[in-house]
Amino acid sequence: MKIVVCLKQVPDMESKFKIIDEKKIDESQIAFKINDFDNYAVEAALQLKEKLGGEVVIVSAGPARAQKDVRQAFAMGADWGIQIDDPAVEAGDNYVIAEALQKAIASIGDVELVLTGVQAEDDQASVTGVMMAHLMDAPHVTNVVKLEVNGKDLTVNRELAGGKNEVINLSIPAVLAIQSGINEPRYPTLPGIMKAKKKRLDVKKAADFGASAAAKTEFIKMFIPVSEHKAEIIQGDPKTAAATLVNKLKNEAKVL
Amino acid sequence: MAKILIIAEHFDGKVEDSTLELCKAAKSLASALGAEPAAAVFSKDGAVANEVAKYIPAVFSVEDANLEKYSADGYTAAAKAVVESQDVKGVLIAHSYYGVDFAAKLALALDCGIVSNCNKVAVEGGAPVFTRNTYNGKIQENKKVKTDKFVATFEKGAFDMEAAGGAGAVTKVAATIGAVRTTVKEIVETMAGAVDISQAKVIVAGGRGLKDGDKYKDVIIPLAKKVGGEYAASRPVVDSGWTEAARQVGQSGKSVTPDLYIAAGISGAIQHVAGMKGSKCIVAINKDPEAPIFNIATYGIVGDLFEVIPAMMENL
Repeated sequence: MKIVVCLKQVPDMESKFKIIDEKKIDESQIAFKINDFDNYAVEAALQLKEKLGGEVVIVSAGPARAQKDVRQAFAMGADWGIQIDDPAVEAGDNYVIAEALQKAIASIGDVELVLTGVQAEDDQASVTGVMMAHLMDAPHVTNVVKLEVNGKDLTVNRELAGGKNEVINLSIPAVLAIQSGINEPRYPTLPGIMKAKKKRLDVKKAADFGASAAAKTEFIKMFIPVSEHKAEIIQGDPKTAAATLVNKLKNEAKVL
Repeated sequence: MAKILIIAEHFDGKVEDSTLELCKAAKSLASALGAEPAAAVFSKDGAVANEVAKYIPAVFSVEDANLEKYSADGYTAAAKAVVESQDVKGVLIAHSYYGVDFAAKLALALDCGIVSNCNKVAVEGGAPVFTRNTYNGKIQENKKVKTDKFVATFEKGAFDMEAAGGAGAVTKVAATIGAVRTTVKEIVETMAGAVDISQAKVIVAGGRGLKDGDKYKDVIIPLAKKVGGEYAASRPVVDSGWTEAARQVGQSGKSVTPDLYIAAGISGAIQHVAGMKGSKCIVAINKDPEAPIFNIATYGIVGDLFEVIPAMMENL
């Protein structure tokens, strides 16, 4: 089975975020890593390859720094990849990115399954995979927590609220947005890391695939939210703070 | 008059709370834009359309055997038919399991921009400006569309629920629902017979900050036992297999409202907060002073939970 996994490099969310001119984050203090949800998508693809054969191709849009994490997926076992390193795509919106990814995937040929994470931790939009499916004229399912392949037929579970799952049938080619928890993503092995360095990574511009979409949305500004409510922060070293907290829970809030 | 159209969501014949929130959103946005609020309801027989009409003045009902269950293909085709039969300026959809599945598809089908996962909308210069969370809630951004129409999805709790009271007009809209390429075979319960944490008076929940499964067991469970409560977890803990899914609090898990909720090593992503923000007293213990959990907590300690929790145990 020929499987594409769309992968995004995102900041570690525990980083200290600073905003420059209301327009972008200051990257000098940020550590980058694979979007958590994409890790599960990579693992799901590798498990299918182990069972059915075929290949796993990583397709990613991002600046040069993102190559580190494409190679991380190579080290896990993915075969090769395409990186769209294009300022025009970076400056675009989800639609511009979806079109560039979809055209890059089309250039590979005979792709049967496209997996994405359910959302990117930074953008939190959950729209790119669905847009790609629409552009491919393929069916899709989001929030996938179970996945089985039988020839050209897929049986997937979609997570619903309150512990319910919807069991859904569809056929390939298809796009699935993978939810966290579907599997246990593997760690790269040392031989895997060595091999990853030599794997093929095509660095391309959107125009190389004939992608030329214009953004349909406009970013205005970003800001650190100011909460109307703030917790009463209990000061002091851990022992003092813990003692004060227990006292407040017993005598002030009266919940213990 | 132009319309702000919500797409109603229903399950087992019951209208979802998120739809009532969108009714409220549509009313305020429509009035700011000089438009009218309306809802589109997709179903097999239209019964649920009459229910939605109690909350909004105009309901457009698409009825088709292929709309008995949700599908992205069915909902996109039906929504497009309603938008094309009316003067619709914008479409509001819940950022729910079903909403995220079709909203972006509908936006492309309508050739318009989508702003998803919003928590606020204001009108500036006659156009809607959306506010949305990014970077796990640490940063927010404002966006608008460049197209004439828009699609927007809203996170749960972004608006209060509209109260029932009206009797809106229900109008049938004809639509050709083409091939539906996803077939729902069945709906299964994944947590049947499992522990029920929703009745506990005290809940101690651990998150990613616990680092590993052994530490979760060594730190969170003893504190929960000591205060006579239940232990619980945020999604990453359950995804990693440190505890069972029935103890997960949040949008994809349980909603709880104990007297005391202690969140240790939990950053406070909106999906988690949705399941516990109604707790009477919330304690947050986190080493990141900017973690959004401190915005909803009653008391907070900025520090290492591995030092703070043992010290709490000594005082209990």
